[in-house]
Amino acid sequence: MSDSPFIKIEQVSKSFQKGKATITPLENLSLEVPRGEFLALMGPSGSGKTTLLNLVAGIDSPTSGSLWVGERELTTLKRGQLTKWRASHVGYIFQLYHLVPILSAYENIELPLLLTSLSKRDRRTRIEAALDLVGLSNRATHRPTELSGGQEQRVAIARAIVHDPELLVADEPTGDLDRESADSILQLLSRLSKEHGKTIVMVTHDPRAAEAADRTLHLEKGKLTR
Amino acid sequence: MKFVSLALKNLLRNRLRTLLTVFGVAAGMFLFASVETMQYSLSTATRARADETTLVVYRENRFCPATSRLPEHYGPVIKEIEGVREVIPIQIAVNNCGASLDVITFRGVPAETLQDYNPELKTIEGSYADFTKRSDAALIGQHFARKRGLNPGDSFEAVGINVSVAGIIASDSPQDNNVAYVHLDFLQQASRVGLGVVTQFNVKVESADQLDAVADQIDETFRADQQPTHTRPENAFFAETAKQMIELISFTRLLGIGAVAAVLGLVANALLLIVQGRTRETAIFQTIGFSRYRISQLVISEGLLIGLFGGALGVGSALFFFHWNAFTLGNEGLTIALSPSQAVLLKGIAISLALGLLASLYPAWKATSKPLTQVLNS
Repeated sequence: MSDSPFIKIEQVSKSFQKGKATITPLENLSLEVPRGEFLALMGPSGSGKTTLLNLVAGIDSPTSGSLWVGERELTTLKRGQLTKWRASHVGYIFQLYHLVPILSAYENIELPLLLTSLSKRDRRTRIEAALDLVGLSNRATHRPTELSGGQEQRVAIARAIVHDPELLVADEPTGDLDRESADSILQLLSRLSKEHGKTIVMVTHDPRAAEAADRTLHLEKGKLTR
Repeated sequence: MKFVSLALKNLLRNRLRTLLTVFGVAAGMFLFASVETMQYSLSTATRARADETTLVVYRENRFCPATSRLPEHYGPVIKEIEGVREVIPIQIAVNNCGASLDVITFRGVPAETLQDYNPELKTIEGSYADFTKRSDAALIGQHFARKRGLNPGDSFEAVGINVSVAGIIASDSPQDNNVAYVHLDFLQQASRVGLGVVTQFNVKVESADQLDAVADQIDETFRADQQPTHTRPENAFFAETAKQMIELISFTRLLGIGAVAAVLGLVANALLLIVQGRTRETAIFQTIGFSRYRISQLVISEGLLIGLFGGALGVGSALFFFHWNAFTLGNEGLTIALSPSQAVLLKGIAISLALGLLASLYPAWKATSKPLTQVLNS
């Protein structure tokens, strides 16, 4: 089992109706991602990058084909089961961070842990470790409006890793950041992959961001081109 | 609890909107609690009790103290009837025989027998002895005193009668807290009904199961007399005399229902706005792993908190309002104290919570009704 890929996608298609037209953002796509790999997905807008990311993260379900993440075949799971699976196996990093403005950095990071049975003390230990890992121990009480864009994204990454998921999915994580902050975030993601064994799937338009990944794949019209 | 704290923070996000909603709920629940207080006070005053031992002897076919006139010498005759424990003649004078929210009621009683007849009366200020010594002295109920700012030693005038406050009394009976007890002979003269004439007799019987028999016996005794009597248990007397008030107050129940419906609509609307303004954030929560059930739980918690805060404020204000103003609803000489009660408080809070829950059901469903990817991609 150790040789089997962590993510295994076989002949996956995704289509949906938009008015009278049928849109197919992904068509018969197959892909394998080993455990601990940092994978970058590139491609023009509408190429199906985010759709693929959402399928891997269990936010959406394919129309056909099979999709395995770890030991679990996601295509067999219902909506509620996918939500439960996401809560413990996936950390999602958004382009625009999407922190809750009324909560402090600490409280934002705590959100995924509220779904667990961890005690307040255990939650604190984990949050402090996550804050330490992203280098924001001194910003725990700050609200999102009191943080820079780079710091907000670090908090979002801490929120994504605090419950120790095996898979991190990142949708343009540096898309809204200046170069310096972007490099710092990419270094952090690279560390999470190499030192903490996280499997990372990142969607990006930025070739420099893709350089930080172990492998880069290109999508065009719902198909892998290289 | 960890989700309640999150719900509270969500509500504080838009403080003005939350505050306005809470005030709206408070206004509705104030009205509801006011109506309930009237209903409850009336129901308590007129409900027949199994342990009731007091009869009211009134002039037959008379419904107002101004027209009920009975000879005072009926008292000793009634006292001799088997089963009777105590009898007290009472002369009543009121400032307003019609329906009113501010009735001043004088009860003229034999000063020396009042305490024996009604041992629950406690003189909390001034002295009972002073009351017995001075013919124009009055013992006034604590609500009556507070409402009019009266203290022992003060004098006041009403219904053309001047009295001096000898003491302030407290009693478990709301009626006693809203009247002024004066000497019977003093009131008979001051109100010009004449000595020897009283409005009614209050009779205490040995046991509750003797009520009907003693009442029949009293009426039978005076049937052929020039002033025949009609004797009823005290609460039945209230219920019959207060028929018009009961009809009027029953109508106010519609106001209470209207207030509750308004609160329901207000909270539902506020929550729907809150939920619609957080569509994307809700999707983020779902992406993190919050289930639809958890999201609904958050929205419902917000509804319950709005209901609780608004309800507590509205019901609390209403009860404080009634406590402070000590209203007495009067009609044809009968006064019913509109007293705040724990039952109304608990009912009001429970209904506020139920409204918060009910109003949040649709918004809770609506919060997660759109497909997650659709919201994230919008």
